[in-house]
Amino acid sequence: MNEIAMSRRKFLTGAAGSAGFVACGRSRPRLNVYNWSDYVAPDTISNFEREFGIDVRYGTYESDQEMLAKVMGGNSGWDVIFPSAEYISPMRELGLLAPLDHAALPNLGALDPSFRNPPWDPELRWNVPYMHGSTGIVYQKTIVPQPLAWADLWDSRLSGRITMLDDAPEVIGACLKKRGYSVNSSDPAQLRRAQSDAIVQKRLVRAYLNAEVRDQLVAGDVGAAQAWAVTAAQAIAAAPGKLAFAFPKEGFPRFSDNVAILRESRRSELAHRFINYLLRPEVAAAIVITTRTATANGAAWKLLPPEIRENTVLFPPPEILARGEWFEPQSAASQKLRDRLWTEIKGA
Amino acid sequence: MKKSLALYAAGAYAFLHLPLLILAVFSVNSSQFTIWESFSLRWYRAAFADRDLIESAVNSLIIAVGATVLSTAVGTLAAYALWKRASGWINGWLSGSFYLSLVTPEIVTGVSLLVFFEWVFRFLHLRLGMHTVMIAHVAFSVAYVVVVVMARLRTFDPVLEEAALDLGATEFAVFYRVTLPYLAPAVAAAAMLAFTVSIDDYVITSLVAGVDSQTLPMVIYAMARRGVNPVLNAVSTIVAVGLGAMVLLSERLRAS
Amino acid sequence: MTRLQKPFLAPAALLMLATLAIPLAIVGAYSLLTRGAYGGVEQPWTFESYSRLIDPLYGAIFVRSFWIAAVATALCLVLGFPLALFIARSGSRKNLYLSLVILPFWTSFLIRTYAWMFLLRDTGLINTILQALGIIHHPLPMLYNDGAVILGLVYGYLPFTVLPLYATLERLDATLLEAAADLGASPITALLRVTLPLSMPGIRAGAILVFVPCLGTYLTSDLLGGSKTILIGNLVQNQFTTSRDWPFGAAVSLVLMAVAMALLFSVRRHGEELI
Repeated sequence: MNEIAMSRRKFLTGAAGSAGFVACGRSRPRLNVYNWSDYVAPDTISNFEREFGIDVRYGTYESDQEMLAKVMGGNSGWDVIFPSAEYISPMRELGLLAPLDHAALPNLGALDPSFRNPPWDPELRWNVPYMHGSTGIVYQKTIVPQPLAWADLWDSRLSGRITMLDDAPEVIGACLKKRGYSVNSSDPAQLRRAQSDAIVQKRLVRAYLNAEVRDQLVAGDVGAAQAWAVTAAQAIAAAPGKLAFAFPKEGFPRFSDNVAILRESRRSELAHRFINYLLRPEVAAAIVITTRTATANGAAWKLLPPEIRENTVLFPPPEILARGEWFEPQSAASQKLRDRLWTEIKGA
Repeated sequence: MKKSLALYAAGAYAFLHLPLLILAVFSVNSSQFTIWESFSLRWYRAAFADRDLIESAVNSLIIAVGATVLSTAVGTLAAYALWKRASGWINGWLSGSFYLSLVTPEIVTGVSLLVFFEWVFRFLHLRLGMHTVMIAHVAFSVAYVVVVVMARLRTFDPVLEEAALDLGATEFAVFYRVTLPYLAPAVAAAAMLAFTVSIDDYVITSLVAGVDSQTLPMVIYAMARRGVNPVLNAVSTIVAVGLGAMVLLSERLRAS
Repeated sequence: MTRLQKPFLAPAALLMLATLAIPLAIVGAYSLLTRGAYGGVEQPWTFESYSRLIDPLYGAIFVRSFWIAAVATALCLVLGFPLALFIARSGSRKNLYLSLVILPFWTSFLIRTYAWMFLLRDTGLINTILQALGIIHHPLPMLYNDGAVILGLVYGYLPFTVLPLYATLERLDATLLEAAADLGASPITALLRVTLPLSMPGIRAGAILVFVPCLGTYLTSDLLGGSKTILIGNLVQNQFTTSRDWPFGAAVSLVLMAVAMALLFSVRRHGEELI
């Protein structure tokens, strides 16, 4: 009997103590930012916090779908998010985004001209382009064959050493491109052919990994990975001389991750200040230097050291970019079909 | 046979403990690769410097303690009442729901609670947070408490209660002074079990946690998905040692 | 006896109503609706989610999940029984040995799963040692397959069989074994024909405590299976996140639960109920 009373008392005191410890610490204004992993420099957030006297809760995610699942209810608690370009329209139609006030974003002029009127949001009413890139193949320079096209990832000599992205549009997109179709195809016949390709490939695939594959590339566990240019640049920098990146011959998707404000947010003013801060050339440049991302900020690009400015993985020349294709939002019917095909690919 | 059993037990214990011991060894390895370089505490320094990590650990503790207290209390009382009278439609329904709770996979529990909370929040203007996580934890651990306490109750001779009643004790006094002391080890074991499943839960918590209620498993999962991370080795060791110390302490208390 | 019933039962009843009955009813309702384009549910009401389950693809997923869960459970029982026996017979050191089993169990399941990632990787400890010893020349792919998942499950759930087995074995009347010895039985025979049958309640409890979570596992197959091994738990999680088909996810969940409950009832014996 005494044991129970004593242990219960101890529990309660412990609980009260810890609650008190946590409670006394939050009196500054607060901003909740939800971003991709490895998309800011180590001091980006802390510098912002210090300069503006705002506490930032910084959460990270690994895929758009993960982020969308969290914010879809309209009650998630996040203020600032970084959706990819093809999610802007759907999210806006679902009423999830808040319109941007350009008056509160004087640094907008720093954007690169090619991103000032992007096809998914020509007037930048809903988002500001942040980082962009392409999807391609990262590979160990020593493997045979060297994968320079999507079709090479179906080569049985690479069996067990290939990873693909854990992302339906990317995997289906690679299969579509391999057959010469558009990554945004909504033709059921084309999609089904792409799906059967993916299922055939699955036997050769080691795992489906997003940015997580970076450490495994550096460690040498993975031979060839379908990866975003950002992940590729980070891996190449971490393992000098061992890795290379290919923009697949058949063509490849381009992506742009953009910063937006959720409609549910009550801290619109703070959010705008944060976005404006990110648009500062020196801030954006610092992020690029530490994280090897490709910024949409033209003024920042000029501040970059030459070896990054001329990094073709991050900033490919126009003739390569011509083979790129932006992801576009899908119709509801096409989206449902693609999701079902993805479930079947994963389940096969 | 005793000797071969002991030998086997040694092997089994090695299987259970070696992976964690190896993690601990490599957590003090200055190199981030799986080759021993030199002794270093840099990963521990990095772990303690991580504000989010510390905060998530505190969150986990608060939730675990709260959920344990609640579920142990609720579960013990319910187990006793069910043991006293197994028939009746409420009792039948309640036992059935405990079964269901045990059988329901975590992902289904998590998803159903998420859906339920979202629906309730339309009327109450609340959002996901520490409270939803704690409710969820109580929800799935109560059945475990009931199972453990019930197992002990089945070895309890009702004659003792009848004797106390005959001697003039009230029903509550009978429970409090006759049955409960007998149940004490089971209640303690149930509490430990409830604490463990709470502090360890990832699946359900990740679905019903809000912005402010990151728990330690959520942070660990994010790090683990990114691949092998020496800071994670350090965190694992800290958690293992911390919890281990707690177990030993509670054993010491129980024995005294 | 009846005066305590209501107040003792009320908190639990309220809790289970709010956190089990109502949410499952909502899940049931969702399983009969149609998916929204980006998640969520909308009208019309339909049986489509259930009819989709008849596809052999999903049957294969169910079978694979059952198979992995069964193997993991069997291994847990086989590996756990001798250990439980040892602890039950270790006299004064019982609590110490029991604590040693529970100790790793107290560490996060995640951490223990991660520990195996650390050990099994191509550049992990096991491959490094084997290559250093010259036993192999190329790393063995030990991660990202069904074997790794089963290993992770066994490692995670072994204590769940040891504890109920120990509880049953500890209560075993030692005089029964003495009687067997008196009648000329060797220790092995006594084990097989006296101890083992009498520990069936513990075996059944342990089997259920391991099989059910293994059936719905998702973390282990996610981290150790490389997102390739899709089991029922992963299927459900996918539908509620990336594939955005909540009605289908709800249907799969309910079918899974029905199957698990059927198993539970078939294994149950009268007088041995867990609750």
